[in-house]
Amino acid sequence: MSQAASADHLLETRGVQRTLGAFVVAAAFDRTGTAAFALGDGSLQLLHGSEWRSVAAHDGAVLALTADPAGPGFVSGGDDGRLMRTARDGTVAEIARFGMKWVEHVAGFADGKSAVLACAVGKQVHLFDGAGVALKTLAHPSTVSGLAFDARGKRIAASHYNGASLWFVASKSDNPRLLEWKGSHTAIAISPDGDSVVTAMQENALHGWRLSDGQHMRMSGYPGKTRSLSFTRSGKWLATSGAESIVLWPFTGGGPMGKAPTELAGAAEVICTAVACHPQMEAVAAGFADGVVLVADIASGRLLPVAGPGRGPVSALGWSADGARLAFGTETGFAAVVDFSRT
Amino acid sequence: MSGVPRASETAMPDTAAKTDQIPVTVLTGYLGAGKTTLLNRILTEQHGRKYAVVINEFGELGVDNDLVVDSDEEVFEMNNGCICCTVRGDLIRIVGGLMKRPGRFDGIIIETTGLANPAPVAQTFFVDETVRTRTRLDAIVTVVDAKNLPARLADSHEAADQIAFADVIVLNKTDLASAEELAEVERRVREINPFATIHRATRGDVPVTALLDQGAFDLERVLAHTPDFLDDDAHEHNEDVASMSFEVTRPIDPERFNAWIGALLAAEGQNLLRTKGILAYPGEDRRFAFQAVHMMADGDFVGPWKEGAPRHSRIVFIGRNLNRPQLRRGFESCQVKE
Ligand SMILES: [Zn+2]
Ligand SMILES: [Zn+2]
Repeated sequence: MSQAASADHLLETRGVQRTLGAFVVAAAFDRTGTAAFALGDGSLQLLHGSEWRSVAAHDGAVLALTADPAGPGFVSGGDDGRLMRTARDGTVAEIARFGMKWVEHVAGFADGKSAVLACAVGKQVHLFDGAGVALKTLAHPSTVSGLAFDARGKRIAASHYNGASLWFVASKSDNPRLLEWKGSHTAIAISPDGDSVVTAMQENALHGWRLSDGQHMRMSGYPGKTRSLSFTRSGKWLATSGAESIVLWPFTGGGPMGKAPTELAGAAEVICTAVACHPQMEAVAAGFADGVVLVADIASGRLLPVAGPGRGPVSALGWSADGARLAFGTETGFAAVVDFSRT
Repeated sequence: MSGVPRASETAMPDTAAKTDQIPVTVLTGYLGAGKTTLLNRILTEQHGRKYAVVINEFGELGVDNDLVVDSDEEVFEMNNGCICCTVRGDLIRIVGGLMKRPGRFDGIIIETTGLANPAPVAQTFFVDETVRTRTRLDAIVTVVDAKNLPARLADSHEAADQIAFADVIVLNKTDLASAEELAEVERRVREINPFATIHRATRGDVPVTALLDQGAFDLERVLAHTPDFLDDDAHEHNEDVASMSFEVTRPIDPERFNAWIGALLAAEGQNLLRTKGILAYPGEDRRFAFQAVHMMADGDFVGPWKEGAPRHSRIVFIGRNLNRPQLRRGFESCQVKE
């Protein structure tokens, strides 16, 4: 079997694929296992089993996508200034509209009891309950560039110029804990234990804050910008894009300070463009600028090829909640879901 | 912190060829100079072409075919702690977002606020990898009020900065100024920036072809038009923005040049608004083009030297507190030994 054929083996034998013709901005699964791809042409492409459905959700580009925290379906934000809810059957409903400003980030949190939805529009973060009723608006000193709920849904963090703001979702007093560090912060993640907040920066570096003792963490040396960062389920590793490998920073035993990161799937001159940690295991899915998609087992370093090169830079990755399926998409409009479950 | 993820220096592969880069036109001008009128002219005349227009104040724009993006100008300092090393954070975000839309824009037009310093916009094209691979800075167009320019130059730094950065200057409201006033205003503009193309207008009535698709940030063009009077030492101003140009005849040693220009930009970058050069390297048939905005610099080989023409290297500075003898000696010392 040739090299190229083996790299595509999983995609060909366990994948559902389609050429969608527009930039794939994000990919996600809802709680029922339906996959959605958010596209630059304003549509959501839903995949249920092997059946595709195209939904015109936005007038413009979709900029952000998340599973609907309140039930089956998805929530998306677009450059039409609207926050939309799309049901699995393709029904679209507007949750809110914000005029000229883009809805650039969305995030959702759900546990058994309640659901919270957040979106970032310019300098503000708007919070909604599961029914789409506005709860409150959180103001920031500059445009919000990333949003993340903590693992319990108690706090939400927003990255922006000169640092990040950490808010209690249910708090009556609206004062955030300001995490300060000079410079432009462009993406954010919170560790599963809620103790570390990490941002990506314009200067091809990461910055982190350990909340318990105020320790700063600086992780640098990337040849490109980190667009995607994701903690493993255990919180032991932070996986990042932006280098010619998957760069994994250790968050055990005092944190990443003074330690070298672990690198997996190194590929000379090919930048890792997206990462997504597996929801159950210590494994990470990664996509590269040449279109390669693979899953790396962190402990063994073993690599499982998912898709070979040639379908455009990987721009979106998402796992189903049970970790059995991976959705990915590329800048040139290729999209696929690969099923890893034993048959 | 020890973490160097990778020893290699290779950057993002060029996903877009140079011809795929979307041209960006930056429209600057002091309050009341007639910037919005000019923008409206551009948009109404460009039937059948599609632009993304980035504005700050949502005015009355004639936009059928175009996408208008409302943006707060967010000037971000880089975390090297230097006050001149700034970028427009909002543009980085907006360009990233626009690149997700299918179908190409024929161009992006960025309108800056009246008091804006153009440096952060220009520097964004040096700093951000998405912006520099997907777009190119086509021209900075500055609208100037012919009647009120002397007063603006007297009471603000920004008015001079906007002229210094311009590739194209629209001298507007010429009907309100006398012939003598116009001549004096043009002289002042030329003193600050001898390279820009000047168009006289009354209500922004300049042909769109003179504003868009200029390739004006293209060094070859700019330096081809370098006027000779720049070598005249007669005018020396300190706080005023001025320009100086130097030419040498022996080839430039790349290592010496890099050492000299690196040290110069680090020390004087805050005063140096723009630096442009075309250099002859020893044994190299292509011209090396160098440009910088404050401390941010960039260089690449451009087309070959013209057959039979002398291979003279030339460098131009626009800035404040320029020290002519020092700059001249410095550039001369970059030549290979005789
Ligand atoms: Zn500086
Ligand atoms: Zn003078």
